[in-house]
Amino acid sequence: MNIQAESTGNDPVYWDPYRPDLAQNPYPVFRRLREEAPLYYNEQYDFYALSRFGDIEAHFGDAEIFSSARSDILEFIKEDIDIPDGMFIWEDPPLHTVYRTVVSRIFTPRRMNELEGQIRDYCVRCLEPLEGTDRFDFIADLGAKLPGGVIGMLLGIPDEDRDLVYQRVSGNLRTEEGKPMEVNKASYQGEGYEDYLDWRAENPSDDLMTMLLQVEFEDVTGTRRKLTRGEVLIFVNVLAGAGNETTSRLIGWIGKVLGDHPEQRRQIAQNPSLVPAAIEELLRFEPPGPSVARYVRRDVEIHGKTVPAGSAMLFLLASANRDDARFPDGDSFDIHREGPPHITFGRGIHSCLGSALARVEGRVALEEIVKRFPDWTVDMENAKLSSSSSTRGWDTLPASIP
Amino acid sequence: MAKITYIDSDGDTQVLTVQPGQSVMQAAVAEGLHGIIGDCSGNMACATCHVYVDEAWADRVGSKSETESLMLEEVFDPRPNSRLSCQIEVSEELDGLVVRLPERQV
Repeated sequence: MNIQAESTGNDPVYWDPYRPDLAQNPYPVFRRLREEAPLYYNEQYDFYALSRFGDIEAHFGDAEIFSSARSDILEFIKEDIDIPDGMFIWEDPPLHTVYRTVVSRIFTPRRMNELEGQIRDYCVRCLEPLEGTDRFDFIADLGAKLPGGVIGMLLGIPDEDRDLVYQRVSGNLRTEEGKPMEVNKASYQGEGYEDYLDWRAENPSDDLMTMLLQVEFEDVTGTRRKLTRGEVLIFVNVLAGAGNETTSRLIGWIGKVLGDHPEQRRQIAQNPSLVPAAIEELLRFEPPGPSVARYVRRDVEIHGKTVPAGSAMLFLLASANRDDARFPDGDSFDIHREGPPHITFGRGIHSCLGSALARVEGRVALEEIVKRFPDWTVDMENAKLSSSSSTRGWDTLPASIP
Repeated sequence: MAKITYIDSDGDTQVLTVQPGQSVMQAAVAEGLHGIIGDCSGNMACATCHVYVDEAWADRVGSKSETESLMLEEVFDPRPNSRLSCQIEVSEELDGLVVRLPERQV
């Protein structure tokens, strides 16, 4: 197959998560997938994909068939990597249930919103030095700082080390342009957090790391116990990773999408009560994690075809969010939508644990940005889209301030 | 079938005709109702399908499990009649049920 071949109206629709030209603007292809190949099969990388809202709503939460036990990343599913106990995002029930329950009660809407004041202080510390300048980079100046700072604050990682954590996380997810990600065990076993953890074991505080060291739970064998050091390390790694990359992408999309829609940006600047709805619409319009993979545990029939056990299935959440059948005129950005919620945080037992935190951070970031910079123009010449098959967003997004 | 009435914080009312066996959350999400999210699809993990059950129905919607009670401490503005709507299964007996939506879920 000629990789460079452009999809035209006459060719069968083609999509993969690696091709840089498709990542730039995947939405026209997503529309074609929904219309022409609602159950899509990619021969080159051997995966299936669902793109319609209704199909994703119906199947994504079905953990009986669509397993997370081989991870949620296409490349890892293909490698059949060993996944250590405690890597709860890559487990099925009953193991997943046990671990998820430990953390579900921490990342709740109430508790995350109680952090709003601290998150705002941190955000203001990032933005204040930029007041009066004529340039602002949504990633370097805020996206790379705020989410890592907040999750670091929650976990109890010292301020001065938070940039290192961010760099390690983004490094882990990065792919060489146009190619699948390389499988690297250090990326999920929690390497690099041992020192913090051992210090925290001796010096308990009111942070999440201390809580994870002290919490008692009933494991799959019915034994009441504490988490092992290995399990805590994995938890910390998962939470630090998830809390960094995706929220940074959200902040980048605030810059890009509201840069492209100045009229709506001005409305938000004039009326901050629009901020929560604007964040929901941004999450719908440009989800930081556009596709999520599952391993097909047994044969399943979809659209009259059998997807065989052993396949990999990609759920194109970003496509579902634009499906006109669910979101009228789905390709248009409108903060005044009063429709159903997006599917950016997934569905079912694996739905995003940190969604409440991401929402608070997004709202605070948007409020504090428009308060200082009600107008901006994105410098697309110098903006750079990240190269990663599991998240989509900006590595650099400079903007000029009038 | 059972008619379920959802009233949002502005007083806007929507009546859905619901198949017994579905939850009050599932019916709302299937219809695309604004104001109930239900990300975790009924696993009591997200606390985003919070409703207030109308007083008249309080005794008829079943009781709360320990997990539901714990998660209800985590929602916005919890009240004695707060429930996670994913935990209320619709039956013919609930025909006419009225639930009110909180000002916000998240």
